[in-house]
Amino acid sequence: MTTDTGAAVSTRGLTKRYGATTALHGLDLDIPRGSVFGMIGPNGAGKTTTMRLLLDIIRPTAGELVVLGRPPREGGAELRRRIGYLPGELHLGTRVKGREFLAHYAEISGPVRKGAVDDLADRLGVDLGRPVRSLSKGNKQKVGLIQAFMHEPELLVLDEPTSGLDPLVQQEFHAMLHEAKAKGQTVFLSSHVLSEVQQTALEIAILKEGRIVEQSTVAALRENAVRHVKVVVAETDAADARATLDSLPGVAGLAAAPNGPGTVALSATLDAHVDAFVKAVARLDVIDLTMEEPDLEEMVLAYYGTDVSSTAEPVEADRKAAKR
Amino acid sequence: MNRMLPLFRRSILDGWRGLVGWTIGILAALFLYLPLYPSFGGNGQMQQIIDTLPPELVRSLNYDQIGSGPGYAQATFYGLIGFVLITIAAVGWGTEAIANDEENGQLELTLAHGVLRGQVFAERAAAVLVKLVWLAVVSVAVVMVLNEPAELGIEFDHLVATAVAFLGLVSLAATAAIGVGAVTGRRSWAVGAGAGIAVYAYALNALGNQSDDLGWLHDWSPYSWAYGDSPILNGWSGTIWLNYAVIAALLLVGWLVFRRRDVAV
Repeated sequence: MTTDTGAAVSTRGLTKRYGATTALHGLDLDIPRGSVFGMIGPNGAGKTTTMRLLLDIIRPTAGELVVLGRPPREGGAELRRRIGYLPGELHLGTRVKGREFLAHYAEISGPVRKGAVDDLADRLGVDLGRPVRSLSKGNKQKVGLIQAFMHEPELLVLDEPTSGLDPLVQQEFHAMLHEAKAKGQTVFLSSHVLSEVQQTALEIAILKEGRIVEQSTVAALRENAVRHVKVVVAETDAADARATLDSLPGVAGLAAAPNGPGTVALSATLDAHVDAFVKAVARLDVIDLTMEEPDLEEMVLAYYGTDVSSTAEPVEADRKAAKR
Repeated sequence: MNRMLPLFRRSILDGWRGLVGWTIGILAALFLYLPLYPSFGGNGQMQQIIDTLPPELVRSLNYDQIGSGPGYAQATFYGLIGFVLITIAAVGWGTEAIANDEENGQLELTLAHGVLRGQVFAERAAAVLVKLVWLAVVSVAVVMVLNEPAELGIEFDHLVATAVAFLGLVSLAATAAIGVGAVTGRRSWAVGAGAGIAVYAYALNALGNQSDDLGWLHDWSPYSWAYGDSPILNGWSGTIWLNYAVIAALLLVGWLVFRRRDVAV
């Protein structure tokens, strides 16, 4: 097996097939210890499959997988005590009260500090005196978060953790992630939208149809993201400005439009190369300049749309949708 | 930190309401049926009624022994109402053990904690079996209490043998549901297996009762293995243990497959 690279999670060629459908096509992933790592992708991309493999709920078809230095299959119960897991589809139908429910899970997870459960319940604002099944979706999610966090595990695996939480609780949850990171815990979380992970995760992987289509930091994503720019110049300078912009690297889709009396607005998209653009524009007589903040979400959506299954393999079904 | 058998205790605690309910059910059935014996069973009245019924029906219901005290307890409770009631409980509990928990998504959460698959299977199966043992013990206690007032004349040793045979029969349905649930993870398959094996056992025995030509069917009926030699009249018989052998096989297969397969897919 793989040697311990020091990463919290390390996979090489991780593959999972269910009969004829392939949920994961040889995933290579390294999640450094102490980092917050976000995995985003549309439904059925393989996020839940990846996370279940880490917890040994399902077993890989091929490839290598090491979690906290051990393959999940060998690590067994002892390894899982060091992990906190929030399933993507949390169904809590028991009539047992929240406190009793969590006490049971505390018994079968790592040691839970006295008062830890109540502290977390206070922070998230959930009443543990009520039967779990009578709680709203959001409050059940909070109970799920508490059982994942309560034993302060080395690794937190959270599948769409903010689903059902109101914005205030989401903020509290983000604070919890920051504290976990400060304490040296590793966080691996998933979402189908970037906005949920970009506030906390430094590194992200974009997953589509069982493949990683992009692995990057949020900062690098932002740097490479496409910006919309608009330069307003006097009509007389328009031709010169147009020529200048056209010659710049990274500028695309340049278009001119009348912009009030005597001025012309030149709009384009700019891909990275911000520095060259600003320096070139500085030489012009600029009336107005607008550069929009890059829309990362739009960029991620573009990845979702990318056709990555151009190989001869059969198009896989949406695992998550097909499941139930 | 961790006390013993957390999953076993959780199963028992989660199911105590149901267990109380089934215990009351058994008490009600026994206290309704058995005290009636002296008034119309013991004086031959019952036998007269039975004699007017079509013999095929009498044989299907195993009512041929109903004229004696032990036969009455066997025909009414252990062979019929108790068997039906506790089989329902057994199949329900057996399905809950793995399949139901898996389909409603909570098994995934449990398995993500510091437990082993085999441990989950063993502790939950044990919880089901302990609850069934409890119900069998309750039946023995109640029959012993009613034995004299209801003039049943059942020997204690024979009663214990009957209860063990009964336990084997209902546990077979429970373990079929547990085992098939552990292999497939599907509630419908688990219920089908548990209920199916009970119906199969009863139907095959009833058919075997119809004529000597069909008598060989008894060899294949778990119901006949339990009651074919009338343990309530004759005491222990070897075939009682056949059910326990099948139970052990079902548990072994369930355990082996459950440890290896993917959960929650």
